[in-house]
Amino acid sequence: MPTMTAKFPDLPDLQPERLQVSGLSLSRGDITLVRDFSLDLAPGEAVLMSGPNGTGKTTLLRAIAGFVRPDAGRVVFGEGPKADNAAELVAWLGHADGLKPVETPRQSLRFWAKMNDQGRDPILPLMRAMAIESLIDRPASRLSRGQQRRCALVRVALANRPIWLLDEPAGPLDGGGRARLAALVDWHRSRGGSVIAATHQSLDWPGAKRIDLGAHR
Amino acid sequence: MSAFGAIFSREAGLAWAGGGGPAGPAAFFLGAITLAPLAIGPAADLLVAVGPGIMGFAALLSVLQSADRLFGDDHADGTAELYLLSGLSLPWLVLAKVLGQALATLWPLPVIGLLGAMMYGVPVLPACVGALALLAAIPALSLIAGFAGALAAGVRRSGLLIALIATPMMVPVLIFAAGAGRSALAGDERALANLLLTIAVSLGTTALAPFGIVAALRSRLG
Repeated sequence: MPTMTAKFPDLPDLQPERLQVSGLSLSRGDITLVRDFSLDLAPGEAVLMSGPNGTGKTTLLRAIAGFVRPDAGRVVFGEGPKADNAAELVAWLGHADGLKPVETPRQSLRFWAKMNDQGRDPILPLMRAMAIESLIDRPASRLSRGQQRRCALVRVALANRPIWLLDEPAGPLDGGGRARLAALVDWHRSRGGSVIAATHQSLDWPGAKRIDLGAHR
Repeated sequence: MSAFGAIFSREAGLAWAGGGGPAGPAAFFLGAITLAPLAIGPAADLLVAVGPGIMGFAALLSVLQSADRLFGDDHADGTAELYLLSGLSLPWLVLAKVLGQALATLWPLPVIGLLGAMMYGVPVLPACVGALALLAAIPALSLIAGFAGALAAGVRRSGLLIALIATPMMVPVLIFAAGAGRSALAGDERALANLLLTIAVSLGTTALAPFGIVAALRSRLG
């Protein structure tokens, strides 16, 4: 259970945005992965996508982020029609954590803070919230998989963007890590942010919508 | 602009920390120009004649040597996805990245080119013109290598694909850069023309290649 000892920093206010996915169809080669998938994600909502391996959870997240062009359907952020908007609104956590082996979390997170036009002050409080503040000067190659993932989650939070797309966020995390992830997601939703996560684990996020992608083939 | 400065300095730093900085291309370049005379033979007039050409040719190969890491690493560790979602202007982003790495890894090439040409017996002035031409060729060579590297990102044994894509595209800049050194050796006024053409190719590549690199990165993620 989330032990809510974590203190989260004060970031500039989020601009909550709605995400609407309508009639999305995705395929890989000649295999249809997702057919006619629709989703309406309001600010503050969370969605947990599950389904067996190969059902297209990752591909669907990548389509929402704009990396994959869908066969049919639309992904609309906020009010305007959009394809490039994702680059302003989405914070992404993929299979890989986006860390360079020789870089320490401090170097990496400062770089991404600058890239996303955010201050560097929240780095330490967010690392503390994920319980990795003591690793701030250790090169990523010497962090465990779970520690790298926690660091990537800090990067996601640091971007201060309203819509989080997380692919297996809890994959390498231990029990404590999952509780801290849940607290992080809670905090994000309390600020008007929304989350879509693809996961195999039974994550306990209060009030999260659950979608079984196996049913959309 | 601070974000692009951050990319530039990060790439330069990563090239030093993770890839040995300029050691790889420099060692490759030195090895090639040291071995070539052993194959060509010891005739002094022959070595003077081939000197400028060998310098241009060996520099081109040493740029290709590290091309697979330029975007291959970003593709593998998830950084490429984050770049696409950064909200920054992507052509500027990849330009800052490629030039940052070029600055960190390729700066010895003109120096080695100058010393190597003199080692082959080329007089100082033509050797300097050849080294200047190499310097002018670095943006074109590194951006073409970056384009090939982006197209091959995530492909196993990408080195083969990069060599096949990049070598034909490097033909003009090789001809002009090596031509500048050769014309200067012959005391020919075309040396300046060749040098200017090398700069022109580099400027044209700087203007166009970033768009190609962005398109290649996108298609490799799709």
